[in-house]
Amino acid sequence: MSGLRSFVARRLLLGVLQTAAVVLLVFALTEALPGDAAVALAGDQPDPERVEAVREAMRLDRPAGERLADWAAGLLHGDLGTSLVSGRPVSRYLADGFGPTLLLAALTVVLLVPAGFGLGVLAARHAGRPADRLISSVTLAVYAVPEFALGVLLVTVLSLRLGWLPPTAVGHGTELLAHPAVLVLPVLVLLSRPVCSLARMVRAGMIDALASPYAAQARRYGVSGARVRYAHALPNALAPAAQQLARTVDWLLSGVIVVEALYAVPGLGTVLLGAVAERDVPVVQGLAVVFGVLTVVLNLGADLVAHRFAPRAGVAA
Amino acid sequence: MNGEGRTPAHHETTPVPHEAAAVPHRAAAAGPVAEIRDLRVEVGGRAIVDGVSLRVSPGTVTALVGASGSGKTTTGLALLGEYPAGARVTGDVRVGGAGRVTGDARAGACGLVGYIPQHPATVLNPARRVSALLTDLARAQVSHLPRGRRRAEARARVLRALEEAQLADGEALVRRYPHQLSGGQQQRVVLAQALLLGARVIVADEPTTGQDALTRSRVVERFAAVAGRGVAVVLLCHDLDVVRALADEVVVLRAGRVVESGPARRILRSPRHEWTRELLGEQPRFPQPDGSPRTGRPVLRVRGLTARHRDGARGTAVVLRVPALDLYGGECLAVVGRSGSGKTTLARCLAGLHRDRDGTVLLDGAPLPDSVRDRGRAQLAAVQYVFQDAHAAFDEHRSVLHQVARTAIRLRRTDTDTATREASALLARLGLPGDLVRRRPGRLSGGELQRAALARALLARPRVLVCDEITSGLDTLTRRHLLGLLTALVRDRGDLSLVLITHALDTAALAHRIAVLDAGEIVEQGPARRVLTAPSHPFTVSLMGRRN
Repeated sequence: MSGLRSFVARRLLLGVLQTAAVVLLVFALTEALPGDAAVALAGDQPDPERVEAVREAMRLDRPAGERLADWAAGLLHGDLGTSLVSGRPVSRYLADGFGPTLLLAALTVVLLVPAGFGLGVLAARHAGRPADRLISSVTLAVYAVPEFALGVLLVTVLSLRLGWLPPTAVGHGTELLAHPAVLVLPVLVLLSRPVCSLARMVRAGMIDALASPYAAQARRYGVSGARVRYAHALPNALAPAAQQLARTVDWLLSGVIVVEALYAVPGLGTVLLGAVAERDVPVVQGLAVVFGVLTVVLNLGADLVAHRFAPRAGVAA
Repeated sequence: MNGEGRTPAHHETTPVPHEAAAVPHRAAAAGPVAEIRDLRVEVGGRAIVDGVSLRVSPGTVTALVGASGSGKTTTGLALLGEYPAGARVTGDVRVGGAGRVTGDARAGACGLVGYIPQHPATVLNPARRVSALLTDLARAQVSHLPRGRRRAEARARVLRALEEAQLADGEALVRRYPHQLSGGQQQRVVLAQALLLGARVIVADEPTTGQDALTRSRVVERFAAVAGRGVAVVLLCHDLDVVRALADEVVVLRAGRVVESGPARRILRSPRHEWTRELLGEQPRFPQPDGSPRTGRPVLRVRGLTARHRDGARGTAVVLRVPALDLYGGECLAVVGRSGSGKTTLARCLAGLHRDRDGTVLLDGAPLPDSVRDRGRAQLAAVQYVFQDAHAAFDEHRSVLHQVARTAIRLRRTDTDTATREASALLARLGLPGDLVRRRPGRLSGGELQRAALARALLARPRVLVCDEITSGLDTLTRRHLLGLLTALVRDRGDLSLVLITHALDTAALAHRIAVLDAGEIVEQGPARRVLTAPSHPFTVSLMGRRN
């Protein structure tokens, strides 16, 4: 067990370094962009003197290294800095955006896991027969449709033509839970592709596992079909599926920009989009830290699940 | 499982509930516990088992003996009611004695027949602890108990079965994963599954393949104990030593037919059929060179070789130290040792498959690069390697002929037609006809594929051929055939040198010289006859002592 503990410790350390690298990269890239917050704030017809004044007020005239060092020092005390544009603390931005994103992500995962695994197991059970063909071809077809296209299609059909559901979440602020109808379309779009990839992955793993000699041994010794499927075969299909699931959750929590923008959900994706447009570097960096940490933690979790269900493979670090 | 187009014949089984089956049946001792009558299994128009009849009595060991492809495994699996996909089956398979009830084809589902495959690890679920299937089996047997007592009773039954399978410390063992067990422990866990099931017949497929003498004798004891409990053991085996030690009845199969059957003693002492005599016969010998085998210059010289394995995060471990080893032209050098002694690592160093090494390997006086990647075409052709697992050494999606011919194209720059012609000719000389080698590797038996692998290596016209345990998975006859081919090769092609990696002393006895490896060190080397008859190192003595 100590081997596992040292693995986790090493991975966490590596994760901190990776997050730092992501932050540095984001900082360097925003620096490399033409213009800055002052230019963005000055509007369409920037008066050079006014821009210079704003720049001085925002303390953007200092060298980039100094600004980064200031920000990093604050980070060590848990202070993510303040927005250049509004002057509000970055942590407020994150807290406000995190709620809707987390709600969308949680709803999606709650539906994704049973649907993905259920479809995968169902298809594997009927491998090669009509049920499997249907599931396989539909999942492939849906997977091939990008989120924005599906989102626009659903809005057009379900909201505009049929009028069943509100097309966007405009006007509801962050109080999305009070109006569940506005969540249906975004969750559907978020679900569409992950369900397909998860189902296909589970199906492939299950078909292998069901054809394996150990499943045959369990069957020949009279263990019931359902028990063979879920207790003996499914654990072998879990490891790759867990990795896929971690990537999906990471993608969901990092604010799915397209979907949030499309349905006007005020989540992290929307915050990120606004901050980049306004060159609000501290907010972008704060988001980078959050996304980096999420990615590291989720992938570590997936590796631990994989280690549990594929103990032979060991865990590479 | 039930392939289309197969007509299930009468597969009668007695419906014995799990409860009753859990207790060893003495009542059935009078008659056979399982019987096969006139079984014929046809796949794609070819009969792989043809008219086989067999009676298995409680407490006896019945050995099915024959070359690979003789129908041993198909016959054994028929007792479990399992057949190859798409097979047409006729005949009677009855398990359980007098009561004749038409059941489905899966006789084993009634808990009467246990199965221990050649590689027990394959039937142990890698993602679940050892206890997984055992607990499922035990749970099904305790469903009559009040809910509260089931768990404890199931656990007790699992531990009892493990004890009966001679596994001490079952408590700790069931919590491990299969890969944390040794091969012997894995086999005993699978045996415990069958015992827990209350199997009255246990089919064991090649239980001693690829194991050293000490392990083999333990396996023999294990199955003798199982038979002693009144279980009928059906042994599918090509290891004649094991058959001699265990079997009460022997059934000799050839090409799906029973050649001869009867009490083991009679068949092994005075076989009536010519085929059986051949099966029990003598092995070929490599031509002993006149006088000293060390003639001419060495082809391959190894100097100061040290090989390491990376040992996870803990750094590296030295697994092989060979200060000096020479291989002469036209010589066969056997490298013997127990598993883990560094035999294969030595072979891999010669072939450039082990990069983490120091020291030099000289081919005709010129150093060979450490890695195959750095070796030139001529150097690659000069040292060729034949692997233990022939199935893994072929691409399953291309025909064997195509893959064999690639050697000539890649290493000797011949054109495709010439290469294919040469490959077919060589394969035919090794006994693989044209229509066979146009198939994909999956359609060839282990012995056939190993000969194809040999052909693939020979087509490079190598100076040195490294054969890594190439006979260990094969039955006696196939092994003898392959060794005969090697003998002829060394005799006919005077310049070819052979490195024969083996744990079997009878194979090593065919070589000119033997080098004995123990824990990564060469403890002894010399002419084969001297090493085998008058070993000087204590380890070699102990290795000889374990013969038979």
